[in-house]
Amino acid sequence: MAAIVDKPAITVNRLSHSYVNGKPVLQDVSFSIPENQFTVIMGQNGSGKSTLLRMTAGILPYHFGTVKAKGSEVRELKPKERARKIGFLPQHHKPVFPFKVSEVVLTGRASYVNFTPGKKDVYEVDKALELLGISALKDRVYSDLSGGEQQLVMIARLIAQKPEVLMLDEPISHLDYNNQLRVLKMLSSLTNQNLTIVAVLHDPNMANLFGERFLFVHNRKVHEVDSAETFNHELVREVFYDDLTMFKHEGRYVFLPRVK
Amino acid sequence: MKKGILTKLIVVLPLPILLLSLLVGASESISLAKIFSYEFWTNTSGSNLAHTILFHVRLPRILLVFITGAVLAVSGSAMQAVFRNPLVDPYILGLSSGAAFGAALAVSVLFIPVQLSAFIFGLAAVGLSYMMARKNRQISVVGLILAGVITNGIFTSLLTVVQIISNPLQLQSIVHWIMGSFHSANWDELNMVLFPVVAGGIVLYLFRWKLNVLALGDEESMSAGLNPGRIKIWILLSATLASSAVIAVSGIIGLYGLIVPHIVRMLMGVNNKTTMMINILLGGSFLVIIDNFSRSFKGFEIPVGVFTMLICAPFFIWLLKKSKIGWQQ
Amino acid sequence: MRLKRGVTIKIVTWVLCVLMLAGLYGCPGTTESGEKTGKLKVTDFRGKELVFTEPPQKVVCLIESALSGIYMLGQQNRVVGVPSSVYDQELYSYYSRLDERIKEQTLPTPGDWDFISLEQIIELEPDLVIIWASQTDAISSIEQFGIPVYAVMLHSFEDVYKEIEDFGKIMNCEERADSLIKYTAGTLENLREKYSSTQNKKSAYFMWSEGINETSGKNSTVTQLFQTAVVENACDMPSEHVTVSVEKIYDWDPDMIVMWNNKGMDPEDVLKDPLLQGLSAIQNGRVYELPEVFSCDFWTLKMQYPARLIAEWAYAEEIQSEILERELRRMYEVLYGKKLMK
Repeated sequence: MAAIVDKPAITVNRLSHSYVNGKPVLQDVSFSIPENQFTVIMGQNGSGKSTLLRMTAGILPYHFGTVKAKGSEVRELKPKERARKIGFLPQHHKPVFPFKVSEVVLTGRASYVNFTPGKKDVYEVDKALELLGISALKDRVYSDLSGGEQQLVMIARLIAQKPEVLMLDEPISHLDYNNQLRVLKMLSSLTNQNLTIVAVLHDPNMANLFGERFLFVHNRKVHEVDSAETFNHELVREVFYDDLTMFKHEGRYVFLPRVK
Repeated sequence: MKKGILTKLIVVLPLPILLLSLLVGASESISLAKIFSYEFWTNTSGSNLAHTILFHVRLPRILLVFITGAVLAVSGSAMQAVFRNPLVDPYILGLSSGAAFGAALAVSVLFIPVQLSAFIFGLAAVGLSYMMARKNRQISVVGLILAGVITNGIFTSLLTVVQIISNPLQLQSIVHWIMGSFHSANWDELNMVLFPVVAGGIVLYLFRWKLNVLALGDEESMSAGLNPGRIKIWILLSATLASSAVIAVSGIIGLYGLIVPHIVRMLMGVNNKTTMMINILLGGSFLVIIDNFSRSFKGFEIPVGVFTMLICAPFFIWLLKKSKIGWQQ
Repeated sequence: MRLKRGVTIKIVTWVLCVLMLAGLYGCPGTTESGEKTGKLKVTDFRGKELVFTEPPQKVVCLIESALSGIYMLGQQNRVVGVPSSVYDQELYSYYSRLDERIKEQTLPTPGDWDFISLEQIIELEPDLVIIWASQTDAISSIEQFGIPVYAVMLHSFEDVYKEIEDFGKIMNCEERADSLIKYTAGTLENLREKYSSTQNKKSAYFMWSEGINETSGKNSTVTQLFQTAVVENACDMPSEHVTVSVEKIYDWDPDMIVMWNNKGMDPEDVLKDPLLQGLSAIQNGRVYELPEVFSCDFWTLKMQYPARLIAEWAYAEEIQSEILERELRRMYEVLYGKKLMK
């Protein structure tokens, strides 16, 4: 069932999961995530996107099936090893303490640090901030930043962690339009830096604009869609909105809901 | 630059404070002139009254107070990071009353070491608050405080029961437990707390930077390659070990562990890597200053817990009002 | 800059560590108290044996009732430290007549029934500290300095006699102690005999100063006091100090209510209390308040006076305050000598 991918960063095979109350969320799911591409996960609320992402990232334990990152079973990796392969960004981070940006980003180095970080770690932080073009924010307090800036800082934190794959759970859902574009552009450009990006997105247009591969989570199954060209009309309609028109503009599909 | 001067000041301050505190006391038999006399240093027998008071009454007390203040401040800041809740400390979480009950129980009924009993019940109290506050795998800021109120109530009541049923020849009055005091501090009490405080303190100090990671949240820590559950257990065990040890000898010193970390944060920022040492130094020195008032009154002592509570309670209310997080979650 | 800060922190940490270690080295070894061959030997209320080769010259006494015993024994010259309550208005008016040092307010107060100032005690260099047995922490701290501690815990008149007897022994005035005890025991015995044939034995409810609900049960000095006055304690609970409900008091319906000296309440107030109107003691107007504490402290030999008062209140046709006043003066004269009567 799984489409064959040349160089998979992550391969998921026959994964199943149920909630604590016994309700199944994912049933016998298999797919793979290609290296150095932007993969978008989509699905309705409660469809199990988040669960899928967390299990793939090794944050949530799975009991049926396998998840392999470059050949090693994610479940069996030690936290430190896992962190160097996969970086995971949870949904909107609510800060409790007014940490400085550099201090937040430095925490991404936890898997390299025994007790306290050293010069190398500080260097990696500077490099990550530079890569995202937010060096100027370094000494600002995280909680004082705009939502978009905060998200870039959290992405810089993942970069400093130096994983091969970045997994982001709804990275733009609480941002304004401008900042959504800013963050997605940045993520998209990171695929040129030898990084694989996996993100949960809600807006089909944004997904189509930046994503290179798509995973639709629907009815406990995952449907792989290779590119925007083969975006399955029926599936999109089922996942998003039943009265959706789709038309082509400058060689890309654009979606528009019909509202009456 | 300003911050640099401040840091230096806080780092250097404890030494003169400790030395000057040695000169503070209710007795008049110690003067600077006497301390600089030849006889003071050469005659170490009991007849050298000033020497005895300085080294066997004041010094152990000042050191014990310093250690207690430092431990409470450090434990408070560690707990705030672990629970991601800036409004908790050993007192709010009920640890203090749990430990005080454990110590009182060991003194009057059980035949296990006082420190061990204080540790066990301190831990039980924290566990109880945690379980009560946990709902849907989440702990709300205010929920934890309320759970602490209940835990505090339970253990303070149990403490009163122990007080009532125990032989009055064995247990000091309840005021000493509820409003901590150092009036009987001596080298023995200092020796008693030294091991648990050093053991707990070393672990906390080593984990000080990891507190920053934990403070961001569980999934954030997990993503960065930590096992937050395991580290939290280590930190809570160490903080409980150290703070229940000091509470077992000093009694409950309310809210102190909550306020000092906040003052340190206002002065130095939130980075636990640097603030932990500042918490130790400021937490220790500030309590020494407070206790100086407590012990310099002639004829009677005001329990130091009374001072800390009166100073810290308005501060707590202000924090609660100011705090952006809290009620909604 | 940052590095420098780190270094400073480290240096200070080390200095602090060294200071603490140095302190530990300065720890005093256990000081053995003198050889146990001396002849002044007593056992305090903890069961601890105290041995003196000669009577203590500097006594710190932090219990007012015990202090009054020392003054009765005429041993005030040995006292170098007193409880802070001695300087409270009421007690001061008596003690200032007994001791010039208290009058001049020069006698130090290194503590009270609850807290002590270890430093002030040490500074006084006492060779005996008298303190409540419940002050456990304070006791162990004081004993660490090799200072003997006589711990007191009083539950009955016999305990008071023992305390005075022990003080007599230690302070070399056994005869005086003996005669005071004999005088007191004799007075109490006379009182008991006087009313022992009473047919209609009265019952009384004791009310502590905390309020009507606070009383003392069977095994208490209060009961002993009542028995001396041939009065029955209405409260039949065993404990020394109990809190009871008003309903319970109605169950007992005592003939009279005896109030401990109370700053906030008079017998008038109790008589007017609407809650208590059904009690026969209230209806008959039999509520009495003991006079100021100095004159009727149960924990001293002065307990003969309240016993006398209670008997008078219970059985006298008419209360003869002039006679009572005369008796109080006589008791003061015997116990303290003429000084107090100035």
